[in-house]
Amino acid sequence: MPASAELVVARGLGKTYRGAKGATTVATTDICFAARAGEVFGLLGPNGAGKTTTLRMLSTVLTPTTGTASIDGHDVVSHPDRVRAAIGFLSGNTGLYPRLTPREVLAYFGRLYGLPDERIAARTEELSRLLDMGGFLDKRCDALSTGMKQKVNVARTVLHDPKVLILDEPTAGLDVLASRTIIDFVRRCRGEGKCVVFSTHIMAEVARVCDRLAIIHKGRVQFGGTIAEFRQSAGEDLEEAFLRVLERAA
Amino acid sequence: MNLRRVLVIARKEFRDVMRDRRTLFFMLLLPIVVIPALLMVVTGFLKSQMKERETRVLTYAVEPQGKVLLKALANHWMSENMTAYTAVSARLGIEAFGGIDDISRVADRVQALEDAGDKQGGVGDAAVMAWVSAWRDLNEDQQQMLRDLGAVSRFLDQTKWIGLDKLPAAGPLPQGVTVPPDLPGGLGKESVAASITSREKAVHAALYVPPGDVDEWLNVDPRSAVSLPVTILYDSSQSLSREAFDRFQGFIDALNRSEVRGRLTAVQFGRDFVRPVAMNEVNIASKGREAQAFIGGMLPYLIILFCFFGAFYPSLDLTAGEKERFTLETLLLAPVSRVEIALGKFLVVFTAAVTAAVLTMASLAFTFTYGILPEGATAAFDLHFEVPAVLLTASLLVPVAALFASVLLTVALCARSFKEAQSYATPLQFLIILPAMTALMPDLQTELKWAWVPLMNVSLLMRELLKGNYLWDFYAITLISMFLLSGLTLWIASRVFRRESVLLRT
Repeated sequence: MPASAELVVARGLGKTYRGAKGATTVATTDICFAARAGEVFGLLGPNGAGKTTTLRMLSTVLTPTTGTASIDGHDVVSHPDRVRAAIGFLSGNTGLYPRLTPREVLAYFGRLYGLPDERIAARTEELSRLLDMGGFLDKRCDALSTGMKQKVNVARTVLHDPKVLILDEPTAGLDVLASRTIIDFVRRCRGEGKCVVFSTHIMAEVARVCDRLAIIHKGRVQFGGTIAEFRQSAGEDLEEAFLRVLERAA
Repeated sequence: MNLRRVLVIARKEFRDVMRDRRTLFFMLLLPIVVIPALLMVVTGFLKSQMKERETRVLTYAVEPQGKVLLKALANHWMSENMTAYTAVSARLGIEAFGGIDDISRVADRVQALEDAGDKQGGVGDAAVMAWVSAWRDLNEDQQQMLRDLGAVSRFLDQTKWIGLDKLPAAGPLPQGVTVPPDLPGGLGKESVAASITSREKAVHAALYVPPGDVDEWLNVDPRSAVSLPVTILYDSSQSLSREAFDRFQGFIDALNRSEVRGRLTAVQFGRDFVRPVAMNEVNIASKGREAQAFIGGMLPYLIILFCFFGAFYPSLDLTAGEKERFTLETLLLAPVSRVEIALGKFLVVFTAAVTAAVLTMASLAFTFTYGILPEGATAAFDLHFEVPAVLLTASLLVPVAALFASVLLTVALCARSFKEAQSYATPLQFLIILPAMTALMPDLQTELKWAWVPLMNVSLLMRELLKGNYLWDFYAITLISMFLLSGLTLWIASRVFRRESVLLRT
């Protein structure tokens, strides 16, 4: 596979929520972008822009109302199981089982991904070394600190060695040290040739790790391109440029 | 759908809920420890209440001359019957004068055995058993004399007297209580009624006995005989006041029987002269069988209820609880289908419900058999815990547990939080209590039409099975009805688990 293979392709993803009494809420309309192997793709937008909805559609938790997407060639609507097997997903909403230990959590998800027990044990050791989790692998998750939990979550995300990682605001609510773990992890994944889709509302994070980005606002892609292109169109102050894109959309 | 993945999910969920204290409490501790303990405490309390009522010293308000006459009447009874009870006590091997307590105990003991429906024998210490068999050799008059002896001696020994004029001050009469003003001996005074009905219960009944002595009232010319008019004022809505009435009535009945016997002998009339018709009463439905029917109805009710309790917490924990802990979305991101998730969770809740129900069944059977039976009445309570009946009962638990598990999972999944789920699921209890209680209605027969009503059919059928009645047609329809319903609810649950709006509602 060439390094530039498009692993994540969103084609006109739209989602409309139906509420009570026939009221509808349009979360996204016509989201299009593509992310390649070996790159970090930033999905930037303010709260409520439709980032989480988009990522949930990519990970098949939500079914798109219009359009579709494919992950590593598998369509999210027709083959959700294969899509889920191909991605690792991490967000503030992916919690750990408080009454289980990290080792048990990893074993559980390993089995769900169909990994043999020896492979699960080997991956657990490997990730434990990499993320420095040795001290708390056998403590119950409810006894762990936020940073420790985040490490376990990261380990769960990459346990089955997926080609695509989808991270929904992975640094939200974390302190500098824990955020640092995430950023390092994202860079390492890029180094391993994975495709990382990374959503955030913080421009600075995009500038630090992303190769390309899409700015989402009001459920649409307002800008798409490389960081260099964004800089070119906006000048050096990226924060200002981000705000200008949002204002233009309003 | 992949069964291996369903089992992976079920295994993990099981491990997870087994570390939840609430689940453990409702699944294991409640049936094994709390039910027997509660039942024993409650029945123990009831028994001691009853005993306390029977042995309690009661206070009668009466004028002094009335008290004198009542005591004289009691002594008169004793002397009239002395020959008879000396003879009887000799046959029972009890010392005649020191053993009045023992003699009345024999009567009570036999009464208890007969109430429990035990006609053959019972369990007890050898001395009592010897009395009981001697008792059974006595003739009807002698047995009646012993019962009357109990009534007379209880009235004499367990009574405190208080003068009508020395009544403690009491408040006004409770609403709705009226006393006819023309009662004899001042019983019509409001203060008397007020002290009987007052909260302090210092006085349990008031008596009026006209003046005179025993000879004046009892040794009369047969042609001009007049009854001694005694009046008792009591409040049947209070148990102790009712007990005071019962004791007094027992005492008067004993007096009358003894006196009539004496008068008939004096005029050389046979006993049957004052009994033109003799009714022989044979009641097959003893109190023992009534109790058996009650326990037989209790078991299905409790088993169904605790089956529900067993399913309650795990179902909430695995749905709304997971939403609250943000673990549901993690699971949705794994390459498993939502039907597999639903089934995995279902299996765990189902197991918890069956476990709770089976434990309840075992624990109740054990408690009723060994724990709370009235002593000496084991045979009467012989519930038919036959192996086939137990197995059939257990087979009924399968659709019941499936129904509870799928309904609770569905309802709880729709909630955003554990608390919300609790407020949805708790009212369901009332939906199941009513059909489950039908076994407690002894008049409700197991007609085939009821076999179609879910839960009610299970409840009624369990009752019959535990009594040893194998109703195969009823069983077949019950299974069909229950499996159809639980299949439907399970299907609904799997549909709901596919709805993203429900799964992601937080």
